[in-house]
Amino acid sequence: MVTPESIEHNIKNGMNTTYLSVDGDGRHFEAVVVSEEFAGKSRIQRHQRVYQTLGDRMRQDVHALSIKTFTPQEWQEKQ
Amino acid sequence: MDVLELIRQQVTTHPVVLYMKGSPQFPQCGFSGNAVRILNALGVKDYFSVDVLQNPEIRQNIKDYANWPTIPQLYINGEFVGGSDIMAEMYQSGELQKLLGV
Repeated sequence: MVTPESIEHNIKNGMNTTYLSVDGDGRHFEAVVVSEEFAGKSRIQRHQRVYQTLGDRMRQDVHALSIKTFTPQEWQEKQ
Repeated sequence: MDVLELIRQQVTTHPVVLYMKGSPQFPQCGFSGNAVRILNALGVKDYFSVDVLQNPEIRQNIKDYANWPTIPQLYINGEFVGGSDIMAEMYQSGELQKLLGV
């Protein structure tokens, strides 16, 4: 059983985040990731960075993960 | 033929290619359904779609092709554009319309 907490754990340990939230019901998950690391990166590169923290879990047990990425500045503008 | 070569041929010989679960008429996953809805909303009708559930080899290899572990995947003029989250963001910002020339 995949939990939002375990996904959050992977992301938090795999990259620098200033804000992170993961919600989900065990099958579908939604992550909001705010990180300096996204600055100057394309959307594809940002998502790849997050996928990287999940490694093989993305191919095996995490099937439905929606990701929203922001730099701290973008996140601030959004608030 | 090598599967990665087959994928390369598919994405370079069709202007718009969607790798998805199910068909545009009957998507088998919510994210693939979202991708189809976005293309429909933009009036893109004659795109080439590949049902990865019917093509297990493509399903595995498409993840390596773009270094992208999830389905759906959208390609425009041979370039990987993103999955359904990125399609939705680019649709909202108008970037997808520009890429598709609609």
